[in-house]
Amino acid sequence: MTNIAVSSVITGREDRDAGTEKDVHIGTRGLDLYYGEAHVLKSVSFDMYRSSVTAFIGPSGCGKSSFIRCVNRMNDFIAGARVTGELLVDGDDIYAPGTDVIALRRRVGMVFQKPNPFPMSIYDNIAYGPRLFGVTDKDQLDDIVRRSLEWAALWEEVQDKLGSSGTGLSGGQQQRLCIARAIATEPEILLMDEPTSALDPLSTARIEELIRDLKKDFTVVIVTHNMQQAARISDYTAFFLMGELIEYGKTSKIFTAPDEARTGDYITGRFG
Amino acid sequence: MMSRFSLQTRRSKDRAATLLLYCAALLLCAGVFFALYFVASRGWQVISWEFITEPPRDGMTAGGIWTPLVGTLQLTFLSMMATIPVGVATGLYFSEYASDNAFTRILRLAIRSLAGVPSVVFGLFGLSLFVVLLGFGSSMLSASLTLACLALPLMITASEQAFMAVPKEYRDASYALGATRWQTICKVVFPSAASTVVTGIILSVGRVAGETAPIIFTGAAFYTPGLARSIFEEVMALPYHIYVLATAGVNIEQTRPIQYGAILVLVVLVLSVSSLGIWMRRRRL
Repeated sequence: MTNIAVSSVITGREDRDAGTEKDVHIGTRGLDLYYGEAHVLKSVSFDMYRSSVTAFIGPSGCGKSSFIRCVNRMNDFIAGARVTGELLVDGDDIYAPGTDVIALRRRVGMVFQKPNPFPMSIYDNIAYGPRLFGVTDKDQLDDIVRRSLEWAALWEEVQDKLGSSGTGLSGGQQQRLCIARAIATEPEILLMDEPTSALDPLSTARIEELIRDLKKDFTVVIVTHNMQQAARISDYTAFFLMGELIEYGKTSKIFTAPDEARTGDYITGRFG
Repeated sequence: MMSRFSLQTRRSKDRAATLLLYCAALLLCAGVFFALYFVASRGWQVISWEFITEPPRDGMTAGGIWTPLVGTLQLTFLSMMATIPVGVATGLYFSEYASDNAFTRILRLAIRSLAGVPSVVFGLFGLSLFVVLLGFGSSMLSASLTLACLALPLMITASEQAFMAVPKEYRDASYALGATRWQTICKVVFPSAASTVVTGIILSVGRVAGETAPIIFTGAAFYTPGLARSIFEEVMALPYHIYVLATAGVNIEQTRPIQYGAILVLVVLVLSVSSLGIWMRRRRL
């Protein structure tokens, strides 16, 4: 909130309007993350907006992947992981005692760095999430599978082989299958942890196109090592360095006139 | 001249070492094959359909091995019924639930020690626990439970390794979709590990089927007129039957061919079960 306000003042009315019009979907207030002794995130405070794409950039080990794993509480599985401060999704602190983590993960989908389809059929991969929540009706599942695959721009390629194994697809197809699987449960937020880093340029282009479409229905948070990718697909960019949020604002602003010298240095490839 | 000489010595040393190691390996193989040949050459004459399907007769000097063969199958089956659920559940606990703390370390140590306990100790343990304390008497049940204890370490280790081998990515994907731990186990971890778990089961069967010491005190019969009809009856078992034929028969000279025939059947049974397990394990890797 504070950061976007600062950049709005600098860049003028247009940004300020955009900032106030959009509603906050994910917000953090003094968020700290520790893995045992290691202080991974240091007092991070900012807001991400509904139906936008926010890109996280920064060198390896800067905490950006750890951050998105806070949003669906996947860090819970790491022994010694500890979070202080607030992480708000729709205004509710998801680290408050009594939070239903299972329900949270239904609202916050995730796509991983390495495509990780289950060793099951394409159909069963997509139906996995809905089945977890008790959808058993065949027609309804058929409908979800078709819609999710269409959403993920994979339907035309796989419609004739829904029964064959998801692991038999190409890397790019597997990743779109994973995206389809993540959106089959209709989450509000989609977290993507370097979703194209294991893919060839053509598959990457397809997925970038897909992400631009997905933001109509989802709030997308994406971690990327690819500066061009962040510039191409995101509305907002957050630059992390050694666990600190150095700068956050409109992507157009971050990539053309960053306030921080370190942001500019990283983007232009002077370090990282 | 000097260097040429030393090169020669090094070469001959290398050859000698190679030869020595080959000999050691050859000796081992020779030992195994000699034992197999020894058993097969003495046992094969008596092997016939009747030998397999007829019970022993005339003070075990005639007839076949039907009763002990079926008894061994019954014991193995019943012991697996006990070992599989406990072993798989413990393996799941270690792989999916246990964190690394003092309690789980002691538990692991206990299981590892259990694997090294001599089988006769299991026999005495079974005698005091199942036969006496729990009052099952000398019976198929007591013997099977004793065999189950013996197979437990193997079953736990095999299933834990099978579950651990399921890629973390599958679990991540499942949890990220909002699955509970139990849903993840049932829908992802277990199906992916099932075939490896089956391999562990088969290896446990091979281990249990040939054991003698654990069942002598707990339920193996010297002789029964027919097959056991209830789990509270004593049963004849192939390994114990062989022991009896070799040491305590009425006429040892007359029972010798039957003894070798029984050994051959048991060896073939255990070898084929173990080979099946090893083949399945290698195919997985």
